[in-house]
Parts: sequence; C-alpha cells; structure tokens
Amino acid sequence: MPAQKDAGNKEAAAGKRLTRRDFLVAGGTVAAVDALIAATPASAIAPAAGTEVPESRGYLVYDSRKCTGCTTCMLSCSLVHYGVQNLSRARIQIIQDSFGKFPNDLKMAPCRQCKAPVCVQSCPVGAAFIDTTNGNVRRIDSSKCIGCRTCIKMCPQQPHRTVWVVIDGQGKSSKCDLCIDTPYWEEKGGPGGKQACVETCPMMAIKFVSEMPDQEETDGYDVNLRNDHWLNLGLVDNSTVVPKQMPAWPDMGGGE
Amino acid sequence: MKGGYTGKILRVNLTTKTIGKIDTAKYEEFGGGHGIGSAVFFDLVGDQLPFEAFDPRNLIIMMASPFSGTFMPGSGRCEVQGLGPMLYPVEWFGHSNFGGRFTAQLKFAGWDGIVVEGASDDPVWINIVNDKVRIESAKGIWGMDTWDTQEEISRRVIPSLKYGEWAGLAEDCYTTQVPAVVCCGPAGENKSRLGCLLHGPGSQAALCGFGGVFGSKNLKAISAIGTQDVPIADPKALMAARLWFRQFQWNVDNPREAERFGVGGPYSLISGRPSGGNVLNRELPLTPARAAACASCPRGCRMRLATGDSNESVCAGTMVVNVQGSLKFTRQGNDLMQRYGLGHWQLMPLMSYVETLAKEGVLGRGKQIDTNLPLNQPGTFAYAEALIRQIAMREGVGNDLAEGCARFAQKIGRYDKDVNSGVLSLAYWGTANHYDPAIEAEWGFGSLLGERDLMLHMMSNYPLHWMAWSGDPYLSAEEAAKLYTDAMVPYNGDVFMVDHSDGPTGIYSDSKVKQVAWIKHYEKFWVGAGGFCGWRWPMCITNNTADRRGPTPEAEPRFWNAVTGNNLTFADYMEIGHKIYTLDRSIWVLQGRHRDMEVFPDYIYDRPSVGHDMPMYIDGKWKYDKGVGRTLDRKKVEEFKTKFYKFEGYNPDNGYPTRETLEKMNLSRVADLLKSRNRLG
Repeated sequence: MPAQKDAGNKEAAAGKRLTRRDFLVAGGTVAAVDALIAATPASAIAPAAGTEVPESRGYLVYDSRKCTGCTTCMLSCSLVHYGVQNLSRARIQIIQDSFGKFPNDLKMAPCRQCKAPVCVQSCPVGAAFIDTTNGNVRRIDSSKCIGCRTCIKMCPQQPHRTVWVVIDGQGKSSKCDLCIDTPYWEEKGGPGGKQACVETCPMMAIKFVSEMPDQEETDGYDVNLRNDHWLNLGLVDNSTVVPKQMPAWPDMGGGE
Repeated sequence: MKGGYTGKILRVNLTTKTIGKIDTAKYEEFGGGHGIGSAVFFDLVGDQLPFEAFDPRNLIIMMASPFSGTFMPGSGRCEVQGLGPMLYPVEWFGHSNFGGRFTAQLKFAGWDGIVVEGASDDPVWINIVNDKVRIESAKGIWGMDTWDTQEEISRRVIPSLKYGEWAGLAEDCYTTQVPAVVCCGPAGENKSRLGCLLHGPGSQAALCGFGGVFGSKNLKAISAIGTQDVPIADPKALMAARLWFRQFQWNVDNPREAERFGVGGPYSLISGRPSGGNVLNRELPLTPARAAACASCPRGCRMRLATGDSNESVCAGTMVVNVQGSLKFTRQGNDLMQRYGLGHWQLMPLMSYVETLAKEGVLGRGKQIDTNLPLNQPGTFAYAEALIRQIAMREGVGNDLAEGCARFAQKIGRYDKDVNSGVLSLAYWGTANHYDPAIEAEWGFGSLLGERDLMLHMMSNYPLHWMAWSGDPYLSAEEAAKLYTDAMVPYNGDVFMVDHSDGPTGIYSDSKVKQVAWIKHYEKFWVGAGGFCGWRWPMCITNNTADRRGPTPEAEPRFWNAVTGNNLTFADYMEIGHKIYTLDRSIWVLQGRHRDMEVFPDYIYDRPSVGHDMPMYIDGKWKYDKGVGRTLDRKKVEEFKTKFYKFEGYNPDNGYPTRETLEKMNLSRVADLLKSRNRLG
C-alpha cells in the first residue's frame, strides 16, 4: 500500500473509537486484561502505546441472525487454504448450541482485521505482519512462525481469531488473510478479490467491505444483511407477515 | 483411497468390551454409508441369520459417507442399519438415517463409520475423541431423556467446555464445536419398538426402532468429536463444483420469481427456500427464529426459535402431537416425543389408533383394553403427555403399545381386520401409509420392494405432486415428464416412467419398472452410500433455474469424483446402487423374504383413491389428472412384480437374486450362502 494512501487514512482512523479490549491491549495495560495475556512472555509484550499501523483495506462483516449454521464457510476456508476439509483449520468459526434460544444459539467469529492488530504487534519474530502490498491485510507467514502462541494468547476476541494448525508436523498459528494465499483456489483474493466464505455462504450472510466497521462494540461487525425476501420467510424480527403454510396434518390429502 | 475416506471403521464389541477397526478399503467397492454397512452386516452375521433384533448378535451400524465432513450440499446424513424391531411381520434388515452434524464429527475424529456388536451387562455409552475411543459407564445418564443425555455427555467429554471458546481435546487438537451425540431416550431403554435415535433436539432416525436396539444392548449414546482432516482428492475441482452448484440454490437475497415460489404454501416444501420444515411458527406474533441447517446443507429447512421449543424438528417431528388450540403447546408436545425418544412416523398412526379404539369403546377405563389414560381430555397437552410417557415407560397400556402398531393390533386380535380395512393405516412392513400407491405408484412399489416406507421425498412423485397441487405448476405435465426423465440416467429418454395413469404406459408398465428400479438404485447409492438428504436429492427439476433443469445427474458424480478421486459416471454409480439393493435383498431372503410376502394390505388395493394431481398420459395427451376412484389391480400388481424381478436379475418365481446376477456383481459369497439355504434364485 503506498505510503501516501496510508497517511490519508490516519485521520479517519483516529476518528473511530477503539473497543475497551483494543484500548487495554494497545495501550500497554496488557497484564491486567486476563490470565492468558498475563502469561505472555515478556519478549512478546505489545509495542508501546500510541503505535499506529495502517488500516486494513478489507473486512468481513456478517449477519449472525441470517446464518443457518451449515458451516460451509468454515469448510471452504480450510479447503482453499489447505486442500482438506476440517472445521478446526477454519479461520472463521461458527459456534452453535442446537438446544439454545435464538439469537443466542449461534455465534459467528471471523477475524476482525483489527485496527490495532495485537497479533501483529505482539509477534516476537515478525511472522505476523501487515501485508502492505495487499491492502494492509493482517497476515501470518507460517514459514516464520515459531509456534510460541503469543498471537493466540493476545487476541482480544473470544474465541481467539488466530487459529492453531499443524503444518508438516509443526504447530503454527494462522489467521484469516481474506483469501490472499489460497493454493487450492484459482481466484484472486484479498481486498478487491474474492473470499471463499463469502462466495459459498448459501445465506449470503458474510460480506466483504472496504470500510472499517464500527470498532466501538464487539458486535460492530455483526450487521443486518437481510432484505424483504428474508422477512417474507417469517423468521427474525418480523411479526407482520405470516407465510402461507401447508395445511396441518392430517388434512393434506395423503401427502405431507 | 485418495479422498473422502478416513480409512477405518470403528468396531466396538459391548459384550467383550473390546475396540477394534475394520479397514474401509476392503469395502470401497460399496461406496460408503449404506453400501458398506450392508456388506459389513453380511460379512459379520449374514451366515447366522435369521435371529431377532434384540438378540445381542444384531448389529448397530452407523455409517458416514465420503461426503460426510465435506461441503457437498445436502449430504452428511448418518445411515443406521441393523435388524429393525419395528418392522413387521419380520424384523427385516433395515435402515434409517438422521441429519445434523454427527457424521461430520465422526469423520473429523477419523472414522468412516461405527459397528456395534454384542450387548453390555451394564449401561454404557461410547466416547469417541479423535482416535481415542472408550466405552464409558452410563451411570447417572441412563434414565435421562434425550436432551439431558446429550448435554450431560457433552460436559463429560469436554469438562472445560465453554460455549464460544476453543477447547483442547489433546495436544495440538483444538475445536470450538461441541460433541455430536446420538442417543436413545427412555423409550429405547425400555426396548420400545417405537424407540428412535435422536441427535440434537430434533434429528431423528425414526424408522425401524433402532432406539430399542440401543436399549437391548444397554447402549445409551455415542458421542463423537474430532479435529482431523477429511482428505479431498481434488480440492480445486471440489471448490469449483460447490460454486457451480449455487445456481440451483434458493437465492435468499433475490429469489427467482419470488412472488410465485417465495410466499409459502406447497412450494415451500420443494422450492429450496430456508425454513418451512417447522410448521408450528405461523401465528402472529411470530416467534423470532433462525433457519437452521444440518452440516453443509445450503437450504436450512429447520428452525431454532427464541423460545427454544421445536428446535431443529421438521415435518412429522412437528406435527404428530397435535395439542389443539395452541401452537406453543403443540411445539412442546412434539418436543416431549423427542425427549422420550419415540419415533414420530410410527407414533402418529398409533395415537390415531388409540383414539379409534377409544371411540369404539374397546379401550378405556374398565374396558376390554383397560387404561387410565385421560381419554376424556383428547387434544390436550395432559393427554399427549400421559400417552407418550406410558408408551415410553411401558406403563399400563403403554407396555403393549410400545410393541408398535402392528404387534399391538395383533395382540388384541384385530390386525387382519383393522389393517386390511385401513382402520389402522399401515402399508408396508408395519410402517404407516404415506403417499397413495394407487396413484403415486413408485412410492408404493418402492416401499413394498424394500423393507419400510420409502421416505424419499425428492423422487418424482414428490416435487410433481406439490407442484401440481399448488394450482400453479411451473411446468406443464408434458414438460415435467420430459425434463424429469431426462435426468434419470441410464433410463433417460423414456418419458413414460413418470406416467401416473393406469393406462398401457402407466403404473403397471415396463416404464414404471424402470422408474422403480431407478429409485431403488438411487436410494441405495446416492442417498444410502452418499448420505444424501431425501428432502434435497435427487434434483431432476428445480424452480431455481431458468430452464428448470436441476443438478441431477451432473452434480452427483462431479462431487463424488472430486472428493474421492474416482472417475466413474452417474450410470456406473447407479449400478453400484443396484448391487447394494441386491445385497440387501439377499439378506432379506436369508430372513425369509419371498415374493408372496410382497403384497399390500387389502385396503391399498380396494379403497378407491381420493386422487392426487400427477402427470398422466391419457388418450394420447399429457395432463395433470387425479385418478379419483382408482383402485389397484391385484393381477396387474403381480405382473408388475414379475417384470421387476426379471429386470433386476432375480428369479420371478420367488424374487430371489440369481447366481448369475450375484456373480456379475462380485457377490459370489452371497450366492454361495443363499445356495446353502436353498434360496438362490
């Protein structure tokens, strides 16, 4: 990313508020956050307060009320990056409780491409980095990762968005790269390209955006992607339309 | 084995408390799922048949498919096989399947399936965490309902489990997912023949009574969770196939002809739109809900509600217990059925039969069939709760009702009278009537020539039935016949396969023989071995494309070959389906099956049909017609059977597979066993 473009964004970035978690971590009060962060090696402590990094040119927002929990996004992610299907390798996590009550029965957890990317700031060997040639996407170079798990411990999100994977027998950290590096998918990824989870989600519940989502709240990335067609299904937040239903059993004339 | 398989099937002996493995490669020729399950059953206990379903020799086989754990749309169902105690008059080698995410987790744990042998002395459950498998005590769990069982087992598998966090299963093994548990309820524990297996709040393996088999083995549950890879032979081809498939999906943001297909009614069942499987959220104010999908399903036909009731239940699972006047209580009534672990499809006719007997004065307090059921409160939650509890716990009259409709009717001496008259509307091997065999004949023949109700909703009759019934069919009868049969490789080109008239090209014709064979082969390979959802596949036509062509028959081999690395055609795989059907049939023959048993109850032949709109070729023209008043001709049904047996390579005198047919299928060992029993065709 050209330097002048970065500079042009600083003012806008400064106008966006950080979350409490972002503030605590970026502000250097790391030790007070929680036990995991307190356990971080001294060499991995985040840079001094006030350190700024260029904003990412791309983000994934999502609609957790539209998601059906099919996990196609997770399997797409592992497929295009690793050539296998495995929920544990997915850089987006969909967590659900079948017995739970809507909307708290499901949580979508993609990487936020944080304004203050603690994973990058805390990596002791520079394996986590800002990819300035690809829209400032926060990435991890697995060839440099030493498996210290600092980025996993430091990620302020629950669940942490850095994902532990085993590559060639070695444990490594990984994270969403907005599909910049997809050996098993011949599509250009990253900002301006395509993302596997966005393309395969049958509910169109994940969307790529260029503008930084609201950083104020943890749910700032969880947006409404539903239109009237969704409302006509008679699902969420709609008490005015009742779709025509099949007649109740047994008045169906022999079928169901 | 390049992709799709983990390479090993878990083998658990509950009698000896031993755990072993079966090499999946040995059975690769059967594809996966049902195919491998049938072959394993034959190899392990085929020569010991016949024996009873509650005999410890019976097996519970739960198979995944190469698609399980992948994003193949509408796949991943778990195929359960074994002798089915619900089936009648013989506890046939049967199958039932359920959705959700069980097979996905089983595959991520590194297993292509599970074979359970023997019976434990004390209640147990099986704990699968990746390669680590343990037989655990069910102390404190036995007696729980299905929901509490699953939650308690999840806690025991991952004591540190916190919703929304990563959990470590072992070194380098992390997941955010919760264990996938399948279990029986109190009904299964008490060896009810209506006992289902339940996974999640509403995913039932309803047919065959496998919950009762779990109970007979003192097996409460199986839990699976894993963090391993499902290998894919050609990842790029699989991704390309998944993206290509989007054109056949319901576009949730911009559906094709939304006003026509998106407003509910009959089209809600076949349009592919989300939700709609749960019919109990349709009164203002609507309960906020999520459309909820099984693993990898692009439709999401289920719901999870803000009230948490009827979560993930669909169709009969939301309709069997009808509490009059309250959808909320109806949802909760059906949830009772799920929690006690009763199979919905057989509870339905049983509840109806109890009410019939009560109205006749045969059943009631102090009556011939004495019961304290609150029969003066029909349609209430109290009545439903009492009836469900008594059946599940075998209390009072429930002890006899737990034997299932057919055996209960037999015990009270009314089976012949009530089944043949249709008062008790059983149709095939003790399972409830469904679609009308006099009109939608392939459903009837497909069930009769199987071992239970067909329960395959996307075979031709279903989309055509509901399209026509909508009053606004998107295809004319002639177009529907042409398009649908175009997809029916290798018999494509014969439009009369979907002629539902009773004329020369209709329900008794050579064309119908081909259609029934196609259904059985598709059932055994794609649905059975591939773990397809019967509500999604096959897709020969669809409202979601401009030309109305569905993804069948292109999608199936495209995905299969990408995942496994094979390079076979749709027709090749259908022939494997033929082989699996022939193996199943051979097992039934070892249990006593003969063509003389393959007959409908009298009422199916004799009761004039109320008619159903279906494509019919009448007087040289295609039209949608109902066939009102039609009855089935016994002689023509028998002639149809003769033609079918010949077509499939079976002896028409008895319906037994012939040696020539079996040897062509590399099933000489099956021929040898049938020969030794004097039952080779």
